[in-house]
Amino acid sequence: MNSKCPTGPASQSKRSCAIWALALVIVGLGGCIQSEREPGTGRVEAVWGKQGISAGDLQKPRAAAIDSAGNLYLVDMTARIQVYDPEGNFLRGWKTPASINGRPSGLSFDHQGRLLVADTHYFQVLKYTPDGELLEEQTLGGTKGEAHGEFGFVTDAVEDSQGNLYVGEYGTNDRIQKFSPEGEFLLQWGGHGEEMGQFRRPQNLTVQIGTPEGDRIWVVDACNHRVQAFDTKGELLTSWGTEGSKPGELYYPYDLVLDDEGNLYICEYGNHRVQKFTPEGKSLGIWGTHGRESGQLNNPWALALDQKGRLFVVDSNNHRVQRIRF
Amino acid sequence: MFEHSLTFDSPGYLLFLAVIPLMWWLGYRSLAGLGRWRRWAALTLRTLVALLIIFALADVQYQRRSDRLSVIYLLDQSLSIPGEQREAMLDYVKASLENNRNTARNDRYAVVVFGRDAEVEVPLVDVNIPIGRVESLLDPEYSDVGTAIQRAQAIFPHDAARRIVLVTDGNQNLGDAYREARAATDAGTSLWVVPVMIAPRSEVAVEKVDLPSGVRRGQPFEMRVVLSNDDQSTEGSGSGGKPVRGKLIITRSAGDRTEIVTEDTVEIPPGKRVFSISEKIDQPDFYTYTARFSPENTADDGMTQNNRATAFSHVRGKGHVLLIENWETPGGFDTMANRLREKDIEVTLRGSDRLFTSLAELQRYDAVILGNVSRSSGSDADNVASFSDDQIEMLVRNTRELGCGLVMIGGPDTYGAGGWNGTELEKAMPVDFQIKSAKVVPVGALVLMMHAGEMPDSNYWQKRISVESIKLLGNRDFCGMVQWNGSDQWLWGQSKGGLLRTGPNRKMMLARVDRMAIGDMPAFDGAMAMAAKGFAGLPPGEVSVKHMIIISDGDPTPPKNSTIQALIKQKAKVTTVAVRSHGALGSKTMQDIAKRTGGKYYAVSSAKALPKIYQKEARRVSRPLVYEPKPPVQPYEVTQHDILKGIDITTIPPIKGYVLTTIKENPLVEVILRAPKPEMEKNATVLASWTYGAGRSVALTTDAGALWTDEWTAWDGYDKLFSQAVRWAMRPTGDTGNYNVATDVRDGKTQIIVTALDAQEEFLNDQSMSATVVTPDRKPLPVRIEQTAPGRYVGEFDSEEAGSYLVVVNPGPGKAPIRTGVNIGYSAEYRDTETNLTLLESLADLQAGDGPVGELLEGGLNDVSTSSDDGSAPNPFRFDLPPAVANQSIWPWLVVLGSCLFWSDIFIRRVQLNLEWLKPVWLKVTNFVLRRQVEAPVPETMSRLRSRKQEVGKQIASRQASTRFEEPESEQAADKSATAASTGPQATEAVLKPAAAKPQAMGQDSKEDEGISYTERLLKAKKQVWRDRDQDKDNR
Repeated sequence: MNSKCPTGPASQSKRSCAIWALALVIVGLGGCIQSEREPGTGRVEAVWGKQGISAGDLQKPRAAAIDSAGNLYLVDMTARIQVYDPEGNFLRGWKTPASINGRPSGLSFDHQGRLLVADTHYFQVLKYTPDGELLEEQTLGGTKGEAHGEFGFVTDAVEDSQGNLYVGEYGTNDRIQKFSPEGEFLLQWGGHGEEMGQFRRPQNLTVQIGTPEGDRIWVVDACNHRVQAFDTKGELLTSWGTEGSKPGELYYPYDLVLDDEGNLYICEYGNHRVQKFTPEGKSLGIWGTHGRESGQLNNPWALALDQKGRLFVVDSNNHRVQRIRF
Repeated sequence: MFEHSLTFDSPGYLLFLAVIPLMWWLGYRSLAGLGRWRRWAALTLRTLVALLIIFALADVQYQRRSDRLSVIYLLDQSLSIPGEQREAMLDYVKASLENNRNTARNDRYAVVVFGRDAEVEVPLVDVNIPIGRVESLLDPEYSDVGTAIQRAQAIFPHDAARRIVLVTDGNQNLGDAYREARAATDAGTSLWVVPVMIAPRSEVAVEKVDLPSGVRRGQPFEMRVVLSNDDQSTEGSGSGGKPVRGKLIITRSAGDRTEIVTEDTVEIPPGKRVFSISEKIDQPDFYTYTARFSPENTADDGMTQNNRATAFSHVRGKGHVLLIENWETPGGFDTMANRLREKDIEVTLRGSDRLFTSLAELQRYDAVILGNVSRSSGSDADNVASFSDDQIEMLVRNTRELGCGLVMIGGPDTYGAGGWNGTELEKAMPVDFQIKSAKVVPVGALVLMMHAGEMPDSNYWQKRISVESIKLLGNRDFCGMVQWNGSDQWLWGQSKGGLLRTGPNRKMMLARVDRMAIGDMPAFDGAMAMAAKGFAGLPPGEVSVKHMIIISDGDPTPPKNSTIQALIKQKAKVTTVAVRSHGALGSKTMQDIAKRTGGKYYAVSSAKALPKIYQKEARRVSRPLVYEPKPPVQPYEVTQHDILKGIDITTIPPIKGYVLTTIKENPLVEVILRAPKPEMEKNATVLASWTYGAGRSVALTTDAGALWTDEWTAWDGYDKLFSQAVRWAMRPTGDTGNYNVATDVRDGKTQIIVTALDAQEEFLNDQSMSATVVTPDRKPLPVRIEQTAPGRYVGEFDSEEAGSYLVVVNPGPGKAPIRTGVNIGYSAEYRDTETNLTLLESLADLQAGDGPVGELLEGGLNDVSTSSDDGSAPNPFRFDLPPAVANQSIWPWLVVLGSCLFWSDIFIRRVQLNLEWLKPVWLKVTNFVLRRQVEAPVPETMSRLRSRKQEVGKQIASRQASTRFEEPESEQAADKSATAASTGPQATEAVLKPAAAKPQAMGQDSKEDEGISYTERLLKAKKQVWRDRDQDKDNR
């Protein structure tokens, strides 16, 4: 059972490969070729995940969250929520109740350890126990619309130090709605547009607890290519970011996490990278280039930072997760 | 799991290795000047280069031997196997995988299901994938085991041993299973066979309906229906089978009419039974007779698919035409239809939403008229109607092979303006629908935006609609496609604004579409802004229609107002197609975009509607093909033609518009009427005709008394023009009464039998006859007809496939063709009622290369399924095959490596590296590591001064030393010196002092002695001393 080396055109193509390789060697040795762009200031610690539908495999993962035990929760385009340990070992998984309209695109944990799932195309926020039990009676929303308590495409839900819930949405009314711990509507802010305080797809929210002004709500305003911060009453505190691909610029920022020093890590869907910023918007470093190799990204959707300072990057179109240290 | 080694395909080249010692001998001497280390390094590199080149010449192969096994299950899903058995196959596969697959060895498996074609149900994997039911779409009416084996062979990887497990009843009716199996086993694949044992059962079938094809109006004829009863359930019992009772219904259909001829309860005894029915036809038409049998007890009949048979017969009458009009504007052709009827032409008017579905359906018509009908029509996704590619092909075949006339009447929705560009229909007409001249027609621009990733089979559908659109555009139209691939990107022409001319780039565009991979676009804005910019960058004044079509699930963020305004400013309309939009929310954004830009919004629930929508929308870009001259122009006669016979064409009223076309450059094409404007004559055709294959087609580019020719209906020549055009195109309608055509189907072949008689009912001999058959897949099949007896002519063709075979017999020059048809009611799949064990045994006996022969799993599928459950069934993952050997030619890499090493060899020989800098570096490093105290470095200026001082001192000392051998400046000095020498050492010192005290004189001496070497001066001084001594001796 021998498989011969192909002859004819295939063999010729191999020869031309050899010629090209030789040419590259010559040019490379001559120092005329630009070396591949450095991936940046991060260091890859682990990469895992492969495309598939078997347990543990991933199909365009889109959101991530980390529980108090350091386990990573991912949701992908098959609407499966899968749990991994920090080394990427699959622990368990389950599916959201319905997914034919579309799949969830936001995950976070509240202070009671419940997993909040932004069930985007069903206009609701689902709540699960870490073991995957759906707490149906605690589901928020489920009705599409622009009234209080109704939602468009839900992007993310986060909880502040007082247990209030902030839900981001887009579609026709890009806004943030605030709910009491009991699920009552409290207030809303934003609106579709490019003005300060408005949004075009607030893709992800993060609450910064313990600032002098109280809790601060950070929002990545994806299609305005910027980041905005608000207090818990929806007053705009800061806004920065311009469209572009240079350091300090943003192109479709999709997720944001904060470290203990208050610095921000932002993953850029369009720039295929993660960028670190000071709270004032000064770029501190970049990690990632476009590609499929380790240390490269293809439309990253989400980030998660664990208590040890390890950053998990959801490399969506590569169907995997990369764990890095900045 | 793997063993690795190297082998050589051309080992003869290894003899060149003998050159290496010689190279060493020569090199060792010639490289002696390099020093020890460099010489050895150069020799080593040279040897490596020589080795690599010799290995490359010998075609060295990287060989990997593996003990992994790949098993592919081939499951026969054809209908000759009962449903429960087909389901049991999956259970067998599941049990077999669960109990037998060696996961430690990473054994892989795949599941391929087959009928007429073979589809991969589970790709080759090494993990357990849940197998629920067969998802692949197959044609189960045939079995092609050979194709399935071929498919499996293509899937197998090279790095594992291969085994096929074939689960089938062996009843193949296509392909050659044994030949393919032998090819596979010769290549080393092991073949195991799991027979599906079919239980004996009774089977009743309607074998055929037999009737004469050339039936005359009002003439009684006999129709025969043959039924068979093959009862095997009682075989062996000695009873010889039992009769089956049931209802036999015979119907007669013509067009939309269906009548029951007879309906009786009959009893079919074992064997065959023929029923004869006397029949008479009063109305001329093309008739289809269908016989259907329904058993009283369904258990008496194993398969119901073979309980139906049909046959055709044709009774000639006056001309009959089918007029297809746009269903959205019914009544537009009523005037014309009525006028034709007045001229004794039967007209059937039909809307484009109720099109024909088979070629047989068209046989009752002598001509088909397309009256201002576009390829696609409709206002939303639910009611879009369109001619499918199959229907267009039927129209064309109906003309080319079966001689039917084809007339296309113009209007704003026809020809190129109706989306017919690039279709088969264009080939059948005397004019092309594209315009090549830039002077005649302005162009359109189309941007396609793709974002339908969440739709099932999204890549397939997005590619398909892209292809449809690109094909429809004219050569000079611009086309661009924008999609998300990491960022918003044009698929082509990135550096040229994204929109390119379609004509010269069509192939490239289609190739790019074929390769495109579409990502999840976050926002509409980027792509739409690119489109607006692309439209703005088009040649000013040239593009008259700008159109954009967006397909999306609706969840990208809505575009900015400024982007919409930019598109409006460009007069670009945006049509949006929402597929699986995420509820009303997703569709609202898309509705808004369409509404604001003047485009159209479609909500699509089934992807099948997409090609029709894209055909319709892409047509907007081709609107410029409509030409409306002001003032209206009067067409003029170009060629005298039968269509214009008896018409005074100078009285024809002017036309207000027509569709621009390009006349075909073919001698058969006749331009009958042309418009004086535009001046490009080849584009200004109003009426043209030609003969296309066995039929004729006519193109009228203006309409028939509607928008553009409203004055024609009152014109005297109207009736004549249209009736003569239609009659010219129609099939010949002469009497064919002297020729009787019969068909006989037997064993997958059909005989055409023609009996030819002259007017005196005498046999006609030595006639030149031919026939053309259009097969069920609409392929023309020429058939040779030869005389076999007086007045009897016979031809034969293969008719294995089920469906309608339409036959046109041409009895000879000048005689009207005779049409008939044969219907093969069911596939051979329904004829087989038992397992073909002979074939299966022969397959299992084949030896896998050097390995063992295959296995036939005795007992068949049912036994194997049971034993697989408990793990006792034979294990297809048993490794009893020779290990797989995968070879990979690595000579290119050796050449590359050799080239690199050759460089190194040159480098070592030509470049001597100064490594002295290493010593101080090393010292520094060791001092640092060992923490040695190092003296403070002397400042650079001080060191320079010291160095200079030492240098000057050396110079002085050198000069002083040199003066000891210096020749005296003059004789006087020489005398003094000689005197001093004679007085002893003290005197010598005294002589030296004045010399030292007169540096200037010394300097002068130096200048004078310039050019005399130090040795010469020394020799001169010595000679002088010896001369002085001699003089002293003489003096004594």
